[in-house]
Amino acid sequence: MILDAATLRAALARWCARMKASAPELNRLDGQIGDGDLGATLEKCAANVEATFPHMQNDDLPQMLKRCSMACAKASGSSFGTLLSSAFLTASKSCAGRQTIDRHDLGRLLLEVESALAARGGASLGDKTVLDPIHAVATALCSASDGADLTALALDATTQTLDHFRNKPNQAGRARAFQAKSVGLDDPGMVAFKKMVESLGT
Amino acid sequence: MKKFLNNRNAYVDEMLDGICEAHPDFYIRLGDSGRVLARKDSPVKGKVGIVTGGGSGHLPVFLGYVGRGLLDACAVGNVFAGPRVDDCLAAMNAANGGAGVLQLYGNYGGDKMNFDMAKEFAGSDGIEVSSVRVSDDVASAPPETREKRRGVAGLIYAYKIAGAKAEQRASLAEVTAVAEKVVKVCRSIGVALSPCVVPEVGVAPFEVAEGTIEFGMGIHGEPGIWKGAMKSADDVAAEMLDRLLAEISTSRGDRVSLIVNSLGATPLEELYILYRKIARMLRDKGVHPVMPLIGRFATSMEMTGASLTVLPLDPELESLLKAPAYSPFWSVQ
Repeated sequence: MILDAATLRAALARWCARMKASAPELNRLDGQIGDGDLGATLEKCAANVEATFPHMQNDDLPQMLKRCSMACAKASGSSFGTLLSSAFLTASKSCAGRQTIDRHDLGRLLLEVESALAARGGASLGDKTVLDPIHAVATALCSASDGADLTALALDATTQTLDHFRNKPNQAGRARAFQAKSVGLDDPGMVAFKKMVESLGT
Repeated sequence: MKKFLNNRNAYVDEMLDGICEAHPDFYIRLGDSGRVLARKDSPVKGKVGIVTGGGSGHLPVFLGYVGRGLLDACAVGNVFAGPRVDDCLAAMNAANGGAGVLQLYGNYGGDKMNFDMAKEFAGSDGIEVSSVRVSDDVASAPPETREKRRGVAGLIYAYKIAGAKAEQRASLAEVTAVAEKVVKVCRSIGVALSPCVVPEVGVAPFEVAEGTIEFGMGIHGEPGIWKGAMKSADDVAAEMLDRLLAEISTSRGDRVSLIVNSLGATPLEELYILYRKIARMLRDKGVHPVMPLIGRFATSMEMTGASLTVLPLDPELESLLKAPAYSPFWSVQ
């Protein structure tokens, strides 16, 4: 067992705190190649998720994830908030009927999230979006040896993905209009994902 | 920036306050942030509900077409920014009279993402949902990738005709089919003379240089087909119509409806000067204009400019277009 309702609930609290603290940095990064609202969007998602904590007491894993999805759907009209809502809903469906999930389940869940987000947002792997580190972490989890430090593994996969794409142009979303400008810059969505991984694993 | 403002971040909410103050018997405001506007009598039992949504800054698009014989509910975003998923879902719940809900909106990536997400939530609640995206702007992509085109004033025909069909208590499949038929044949093009200011930002997000026009510019300042020196009204009107008719085959005796639309600041006088030329060109081709709509139907804040929309008609589309409809912003008697 690596994740149940209680561990998810504790991880969500860390996730919310980290998203709120990261908002100015993410706004600034997003402002270089987008509309500069990524931090504000995630801050609002986090505030909405926090507001649901009192209602989560009796939730099982799928219910808790669906509640997070609904909370993010109320955040804003921005695409990253919608993608996050979609990710939580996909995760909820993936855990249907389960009280706990293990490392392999989590890897498979992330692959399902990756394909749901690709369908929802229209980006592909390699476009320098949040899909790329999700895929890298999913692959790393699926192939990890028993007893491996999963947080370190996920963080390493995310950092390597950021390094790999830094000097490539963005190929999707609003940043596509700034392809040349995006070379040398980290994708703000990937950076946000890295902060999520860091907060969840702590 | 010189605008009538109290608090620029409350621009949309204060606009909605005013609309509901003006028409308290007609609209009801819903959603946890009051960003959904619905017919006060919604949901209409047994009728297909039609919902739309999008960024503000385009009145009467989108919420101005919530009305009898038109739409049931609208999710309202900030200026030029899409509505929240939760508001799309609240609009769908408000519109759901038990006969299914059609999502009918402009083809923009963010709006598609949010309406699709709302559809996923609604599907798990057991509501039958279909979606049609309007993509009439010929300047936004070539004919071979027509599905990528943006939705502009052609939305009005889709709203009117699907709304009339739903009013006849047609099924969700039938209402969806007639909306798709409109999208398939309707074409629009716009010309911008000056930009507009997004109040939340305070500056124009794009430029149109003095003395020049941008032919084909989108309603959020998306680049057009060409930029150049200002031309005569007749030359602009002729190029607009020619570009649309390049994709619409017409024969003598055909009937078409037209919207000559102000993008905000262009006065009615100039729209009629444009229409004069368009009507004469159609007459020369033996094509009969039906119920031409001339005025502010789909705007872009205070942008100066105009768009032309052409809808080729068949007997079904013409009869639905002429069916009675009412909203505080537009009515057909």
